[in-house]
Amino acid sequence: MRLEVVFKILGFVLLFNAVFLFIALMIAYSNQESSLIPLLFTTLICIIFGLFPMVFAGKHESLSFAEGIMVVVSGWVITCVIGMLPYLMWGGEFNLIDAWFESVSGYTTTGSTILNDIESLPKSLLFWRSTTHWIGGVGIIIFVLLILPHARNARITLLNTEMSELSKSNFHYKARTTIQILIVVYVGLTFLETLLLRLAGMSWFDGINHAFATIATGGFSTKNNSIAYFENIWIEVIIMFFMLLSGIHFGLIFGTITGSRYNIFRSKMVRSYVMIMFLGIILVALKLFINDFYSWSESLRFASFQVISVGTTTGFATVDTAIWPVFTQMVIIYFTIQCAMTGSTSGGLKFDRVYLFIKSVKKQVRLIKHPAGVFAIKMENKTINDSLERQTMLFIVLYVFTFFITTLLLTTMDIDLMTAFSASIATLGNVGPGFGNVSSMGNFDSLPNLAKFILTLNMLLGRLEIYSVIALFTIRK
Amino acid sequence: MLLVGLLVVAGSVSVLEFMKLSTSSTSILENNHKSIGASKTMLEALEREDSGILLLLLGKWEEGRRILGESDMMFLEALTVAQNNITKDNEAELIADIQNKYVHYKEKWTRPIVDTFKEGNIDWYQNIAHQEFIQLKKSINQLMTINQESLYEEATRLKDNGHRAVMPSIISIIGAILFSFLLIFYLDQQFIIPLKKLLKAVKNFNQGYYQLQSSIKSKDEINQLEIEINQMLKRARKNDIR
Repeated sequence: MRLEVVFKILGFVLLFNAVFLFIALMIAYSNQESSLIPLLFTTLICIIFGLFPMVFAGKHESLSFAEGIMVVVSGWVITCVIGMLPYLMWGGEFNLIDAWFESVSGYTTTGSTILNDIESLPKSLLFWRSTTHWIGGVGIIIFVLLILPHARNARITLLNTEMSELSKSNFHYKARTTIQILIVVYVGLTFLETLLLRLAGMSWFDGINHAFATIATGGFSTKNNSIAYFENIWIEVIIMFFMLLSGIHFGLIFGTITGSRYNIFRSKMVRSYVMIMFLGIILVALKLFINDFYSWSESLRFASFQVISVGTTTGFATVDTAIWPVFTQMVIIYFTIQCAMTGSTSGGLKFDRVYLFIKSVKKQVRLIKHPAGVFAIKMENKTINDSLERQTMLFIVLYVFTFFITTLLLTTMDIDLMTAFSASIATLGNVGPGFGNVSSMGNFDSLPNLAKFILTLNMLLGRLEIYSVIALFTIRK
Repeated sequence: MLLVGLLVVAGSVSVLEFMKLSTSSTSILENNHKSIGASKTMLEALEREDSGILLLLLGKWEEGRRILGESDMMFLEALTVAQNNITKDNEAELIADIQNKYVHYKEKWTRPIVDTFKEGNIDWYQNIAHQEFIQLKKSINQLMTINQESLYEEATRLKDNGHRAVMPSIISIIGAILFSFLLIFYLDQQFIIPLKKLLKAVKNFNQGYYQLQSSIKSKDEINQLEIEINQMLKRARKNDIR
C-alpha cells in the first residue's frame, strides 16, 4: 500500500474541512465569540496537515482497492477527529468523549447529541455542528472526489468504495458525472430549503442550519426543543417535504428535474417507500387519536413529522415520543430499522435492502414449490444477480448481529433494555433519537462514557455500511 | 515553520487567557463571597432583633434593648459591606429595598413597647412586627441567592476560560508530535529508503558489471546521484578498455 498516496488524498479531506471551519471562524470573529480560538486552531491544524502530504506526493492516476478502503475508512475517522477539536477546545458541556460523540454523530448524520443546553453554544459552533452534517451527508469522500486532481482511476475506485452496489443502481452515468449529479442535487436542495424556511419565518442562520441538517438527514437543531421550538406548521411542512425528498435516491431526483425516464414518479421503489411511510403515519395517528393523546388533526400532524423524521433517518422532533403508546413506538422502531433509500443521504439498513429481502424470501418460497425453476429478482426493471442478492442478505445478517452485540454491551452497563435497544438501532441506522432515556426530546448525556464510545463505533459502522470496515481489517499490506 | 508559528500562537493564547483569569474574575469572586457573608450576617442580626422584640413584649426592657442595639450595629455593618460589593445589575436595587424595609422594621422597635399597649400583645407582634421581619428576611435571602448564582456562574466561566487557555497548547503539542511522525515517515520514504537502496546496490556491486541496480523510482537528487554513479562507472569501463 502506498501510504504517501493515501496521505495525499486525506490531505484533501482535511483541506475541505478547513474551508467550512474558516466560515465558522468568520462567524465567530464577527460575533466576537469564545469559540474563535478553538476554530482558528482547528483550521490551522487542517491546513498544515492537509498541505504537507502534497509537497511530497506526486501525480497518482490510480488507486488500488486496498488503498481505496484505507482512504474511505481513515478519511471518515480523521474527519471525525478534526470535527471534535472545536468542541473539545471550547469546553462547556464537552469533554473528550462527548466532543467525539458529537463530532461522529454530526458527520455520520446521526443527529444524537449529548448537549443539555444546545442554545448556550456560540453561533459559530452551532454552524460548525450543522456543517458536519452537511459535509457527512453526501459523504466527505464524494466531495473530495470532485476536487481531486489527476485521479480519473482513483475516482472510480473511491466511488466504488464509498457507495454500495445498490446505491449506484439508479445512476446511469460515469463516475465523475455521478458525483456531479450528487453534488448538484445536494446543493440545490439545501439552497431551496433555506430559502423556503426563511420565507416561513426562520432567521437566515436557523434556516441554513436546519437546511443543512435536513438535506443531510442529520437532525441537529439550533434549538433545545428542536423543531417544536418554532411552533410553525409551515416550517414543519417544509422540513417534512425535504426530509422525504432527501430519503429518495438522488439519481431519481435528478432524473425527475431533467425529465429523464428514470424519475421518482416511474419508480416502483419510491412508490413502495412512500406507501409504507404513509401507512406508518396513519397507524401512528390513529393510535394517538384513539388513546386521546391529541385531536385528529394534531395526531396526524405529529405522527407525520415523527414518522418521516425517523423513516428518513433525520431525527428532528416536534413532540416527545417517549410518552407515546408502545404501539406507536414499535411502528417508529420499524422505521428506525428500515431507514430510507439507497443513493440518498440517509444511513442504516436502507429500504432497498428490506425490499430485496422480501423479494428474496418470495423467491425462496417459489423455489421450494418448484425446485427446478429459475426465478430472477427484478428491482426497477433490473435483474438482481445472485451475488448482489447474497451480499445484501449477508449485510442484513451483519447489521442485525452488530445491533444485537451493541445492545448486549450496553445492557452490561445496567442501561435499561428500551434505552439500550433503541440507542443501538438509532445509532447504527444513523437515525438519532431512540426511546427511554434517549428519546426525541432527551439526549445521550446520561449514558456512561464507554456506552457513548460504543455508540459512536455503531454510527461509523452504519455510515460505512459495515463491509468497508471489515475489508480494512482484512486487507494485507 | 507553520507548526512553530502554531505553537507560539498557542503559548501566547494560553498566557493571555491566564492573565485575564488572574485579574478580572478573582475580584468578582471576592465581591460575591463578601456579599454572601454580609447576607448571612444580616439574617443572623435580624433573627436576634426578633428575639429582642419578643423580650420587650415580655417586659424585659433592659435585656431586650441591649440585644436590639447590638444586632442593629451588626446589621448596619453587614449592609455597608453589601453596598460596597455590588457585582450584578439588579443588586443595588435590591440592597436599597432591604435598607428601606429595615428602616420601617426598625421603627417598630425604636418606639416604646414596654408599658404600652404592645406589651404582651401577641396580635401586634404577629400581624405587624413579625410580618415586616419575614418580608425583610425574604429580600436578604434573595440577595444571597443572586450572589450565590453569580458565584456559580463565575466559577463556571473560570473553569471554561481555564480550559480554553490550556487546550490550544495541548492540541498544538499533540499536533507537533503527530507532525513529527509524519515528517519522519516522509523523510524515510523520500531519502532514507532510497539511500539505503543505493547503499545496498553499491555494496552488491559486482566487478563484472558497470551499472548499479538500485530500483530507485523517484526523480530527485538521489536518482540523479545513481545516474551520475552509473555514468562514472561507464567512464571507468572505457578507461579499462583503453
